[in-house]
Amino acid sequence: MAQTAITPQGKIYPPTNWKTWLGVAPFFIFAILFLFLPSLRLFTASFTDPEGNFTLNNIIQLFSEKYIVDAYKLSIQISAVTALGGGILGFLLAYSVTVGGLPKSLRSILITFSGVASNFAGVPLAFAFVATIGRQGFMTHILRDYFGMDIYEAGFNLYSFAGLSLVYMYFQFPLMVLIMAPALDGLKKEWREAAENLGASTAQYWLKVAMPVLLPSILGAMILLFGNAFGAYATAYALTGGRIGVVTIQIGAQIRGDVLYNPGLGYAMAIGMVVIMAISLAGYSWLQAKTERWLK
Amino acid sequence: MAYLSISKVTKQFGDTVVVDNFNLDIEKGEFVSFLGPSGCGKTTTLRMVAGFELPTSGQIFLDGVDITDKSPNQRNVGMIFQSYALFPNMTVEQNIGFGLTVRKLEKDVIKQRVDEMVRLIHLEKHAHKYPYQLSGGQQQRVSLARALANRPQVLLLDEPLSALDAKIRVSLRSEIRAIQKSLGITAIFVTHDQEEALSISDRIVVMNVGEMEQVGTPFEIYNFPKTRFVANFVGSLNTAEAQVLDPANGLLTMDGIQLQTHEGIIGKKKGDKVTFAIRPERFSFVAEGKKENLLEGTVINITFLGSVVRIQMQIGNSTFNMDTFNRPSLELPKIGEKCQVTCSTKAVLILEG
Amino acid sequence: MKFLYRLRNFPFWSWLWFIIGALYFILPLLATFEFSLSWDPAIPWKAYQRAFEDNDFWETFIYSNVLAVATIFFSVLLVVPTAYWIRLRLPQARRIVEFITLMPFVVPAIILVFGLIRIYSSPFTIPFTDIQLMQPLTNFKMGTNILIVAGYTVLAMPYMYRSVDTGMRTVDIATLTEAAQSLGASWYVIITKIILPNIRSALLSGALLTFAIVVGEVTLASFLGVDAFGPYLFLLGQHRAYEPAALSFVSFLLTWFAMGMIQMVTGGQGQAQGAH
Repeated sequence: MAQTAITPQGKIYPPTNWKTWLGVAPFFIFAILFLFLPSLRLFTASFTDPEGNFTLNNIIQLFSEKYIVDAYKLSIQISAVTALGGGILGFLLAYSVTVGGLPKSLRSILITFSGVASNFAGVPLAFAFVATIGRQGFMTHILRDYFGMDIYEAGFNLYSFAGLSLVYMYFQFPLMVLIMAPALDGLKKEWREAAENLGASTAQYWLKVAMPVLLPSILGAMILLFGNAFGAYATAYALTGGRIGVVTIQIGAQIRGDVLYNPGLGYAMAIGMVVIMAISLAGYSWLQAKTERWLK
Repeated sequence: MAYLSISKVTKQFGDTVVVDNFNLDIEKGEFVSFLGPSGCGKTTTLRMVAGFELPTSGQIFLDGVDITDKSPNQRNVGMIFQSYALFPNMTVEQNIGFGLTVRKLEKDVIKQRVDEMVRLIHLEKHAHKYPYQLSGGQQQRVSLARALANRPQVLLLDEPLSALDAKIRVSLRSEIRAIQKSLGITAIFVTHDQEEALSISDRIVVMNVGEMEQVGTPFEIYNFPKTRFVANFVGSLNTAEAQVLDPANGLLTMDGIQLQTHEGIIGKKKGDKVTFAIRPERFSFVAEGKKENLLEGTVINITFLGSVVRIQMQIGNSTFNMDTFNRPSLELPKIGEKCQVTCSTKAVLILEG
Repeated sequence: MKFLYRLRNFPFWSWLWFIIGALYFILPLLATFEFSLSWDPAIPWKAYQRAFEDNDFWETFIYSNVLAVATIFFSVLLVVPTAYWIRLRLPQARRIVEFITLMPFVVPAIILVFGLIRIYSSPFTIPFTDIQLMQPLTNFKMGTNILIVAGYTVLAMPYMYRSVDTGMRTVDIATLTEAAQSLGASWYVIITKIILPNIRSALLSGALLTFAIVVGEVTLASFLGVDAFGPYLFLLGQHRAYEPAALSFVSFLLTWFAMGMIQMVTGGQGQAQGAH
C-alpha cells in the first residue's frame, strides 16, 4: 500500500515499504544489542535484590541514603560549576576569534587546540594537572617563588571540589569553543551594521540583538557541558582515586567495589544518572530547535 | 551646496583603489541610482555614506555638515541591506521600533510611529510575526519601514531587490519609489540591474572599476551613452570600431561599409579611429528608397525573446544584433541568408572611450 | 587621527581572553613536559627511555591501536551505509537515527559498560529453553574483544555519524547518486568512485576522532578487564612518577596529531566534541 509520510515540517516523502527499512536494519540491530538491551537490563536490575527478587529498595535508597544524595549533589554541583565557568571562558574565547577582531590565523589554532583539549581527558589529564598545580607542581612553585602566593597554604587542594573543577574545565571550555564558534559565525555582519545604522551603540547591539539571538545556543551548549562533566569517570578516578565521591565513582564502587558492594543500588544510581542526562538532552534539543527556527 | 555632497572621495583597500575620486551632488528629495557590475565600487561608496567605511581621502557633507568621520550610529542615515538584516529575535513591530527604542523615545511616540510605518508597508496583519514567518518581499518591506521609522535624512538601499523573485522585484520597486516620492526623502539606490535603475531613478551614476563613467537621467543614459562601457552595460548596444572619413559631414567607414551620423564628428580628423554604437531596436529591414546607412550582412542566429525577435548578423568583420517586434505577420530571413538592414543617421552614436 | 581610530579598534579584550585561554591550554602541557624531563638532570630523556623500554607499554599501546582500528572499521561499516540510505531513500528515519546516535550522551561509558557486562556475562540460550548456543562473551578473549569494540563503536557513534552525515550533505550525495545512475553507473562504481571519494575527508575526520577517543580510553577497558593502554597508564601512575608524565605528554602529542590531521583534511570544518 502506498503511503505518504508527512513530517512536522510539512515535507512529503515518497511512499516506502518494509524493504526500504531493511537498509537501516543493521544499524537498529546493533543499537538494540549494544545500547538498548544493556540499558534496559540495568533498568530491570535496579529493581532486583541480590537474590533476584523484585524490590523497590534500591530506588528508595537513592533518595534516602545520605551519601548517595550527596554524590548526586556533588556531581550536579561540579557539573554546573564547570559548565558555567567553562561556558563563560569558552564563549569569550570563541568570541575573540570570531567577531572579536583577532587575526584569522589564531582561529584555526584555537579550534585545533580545542579539538585536542576536549578529547584530552582521563589519566593523562590528571597527570598534567598534578604536574601543574599539585603540591610540587610547576605553577605552584612559580606562584610561590615569584608571586609570593602559596596556594596550598591558602587552602587550595587539587584533590578537592575546586581542584577537580579546575581539571574538568580543561575539557569543558574547549568544547564550548567548538560549539560556540559556528554559532557566533551565524551572527550576520548586517545585523550589527543595521543596529549601528539605526543609532544603537555596541552595548545596545549586544544587549538587544546578539545576546538574545545567541542565548538558546549558549544555554544549549552549557547543557551539553553539564552532561559532559556529569558522565565523566576516568578523569575523576585518575585524579582522586575515588576520594571525591561523584556519582560515576560511586556507581563503580557499588558494582565493582571492595568496600561498598551492592550492584542493584549501583544500577539504580546509573538509571538515576540516565534520567538526569535524558532531561538535559531534551532541554538541549528543545533549545537547538528554537535556534534553528530563528536562524533559518 | 547640495543636500548630500560627496566630494573627491577615494577609497583604497591596501593597494587596490576601489573608489577613485568620486564627486557627486545630490539634491533634497532626489532618487539617485549607482549602477555598475560587481566590484565597481558602488556598494563601497554607499557604505562610506552610511559610515561603515572610512574614505581614504575626500569628504562627505550632509545638509552642510561634514559627516566623513562620524560613526554610523551618529549619522541620521537609513540603510536597507540586500539580505534584509532583520533582527531574528524581534517581531515586525519590535524591528521597526528598534531605532526609536535605542534613542529612548517615549513609549507612546514609538507606538504611534511604528503603527504609522506598519500601515505604510501594508503589513498590519503581520505586525506580531517574526521575520522567519514572512516572505522575502515582506521582510524587505519591514526593513524599509525600520529604516524610515527613524526619519533619516538620506535613505541608502544596497541592492535591496536582488534576493527577491522577479515578480516581487518589480512590484516592490514601484512601491519603494512611491513611498520615497510621498515622503520626499533623498535616496541612493545601488544596483547592477540596468532595467531597475532606469525605471526607478531621477538620476543614474554608471560606475566601472571605481570610476564614474557617466551621470545623467535615465533618458540620457539610455539614449546617449557616452562611453563604450555604458553602451554595453545599459541596454546591450552594438559597438564597433570605424575610421573617420569626413569629420565635418559625419561620415565613417567600417570594413569598407559607409556609415552616416546625424551630426559632424567634433575633435577628430580624417583617418582617426572611433568607436560607435547602434541600439539593436534601431535597425530595420530595408524599405524602398533608402540611400544612407545601407548595411548588408549574413544572418548568424535568430532568437525569440517573447515580444521581440533578435537577429544576429555578421556585417563586415563585426557582429550586430537587430531587434524587431514579434508580429504574427513577421517574415524572417533564414540563417545563412544575406539581407540588407538600415538605421537612421541619428541611431549612429559616436562614443568617447 | 587615523592612529587614534586604529587604537580605538584594537581588540584589547579579545586578546586578553585569548591569552587566558592559551595559558590554560599550554601551562599543564608545559608542566607535564618539564616534569617528565626532571627525573635525572644528566639524562633529560630518561623518563621517555624507561617508558619506551617497558614491554607492557608496547603491548598495551599496540593492542589499543588495534582496538581503535577495529572500531573505526566497524563504525564505518555500520554508519556509512545507514547514513547513505537515509539520505537516499529513507529520510523518515533521520530523526530516530539521529536520536539514537545521541544516546551515548545519555548513557555514559560507566553505565554502558555495566549494562554490557550484565547482558553478555550470561550465556546465550535459545529463548524459553536451557539450550546454550554460546558461552558468555566475557568468558573468552575474542568475546571480550568483540564486546569492547562494540562498546567503543557506541561511544564513537555520535562523532562518526555526524561527521559522515555532514560530509554527505555538503556534497549532496543523493543528487550525485542519481546523476551517476542516469549515466549508467553500477552500484559498485557508485560506491567506490562516487560516494567514498566524496566523503573521504569526512570519513577521515570521523576516524581520527574515534582514534583519539579509543586509544586512551580507561572506563570500558578497565571494567571489561582488557590490557589496553588506558588502564596501563593508570596503573603505571599508581607507583611511578616520571614515566606516566612522559607518556601523558606523548599521548597529548598523538591526540594533537590526530586533530591537526582533521583540521588539514577538512579545512577547519572538523567538529570535535568531548568524550569522557
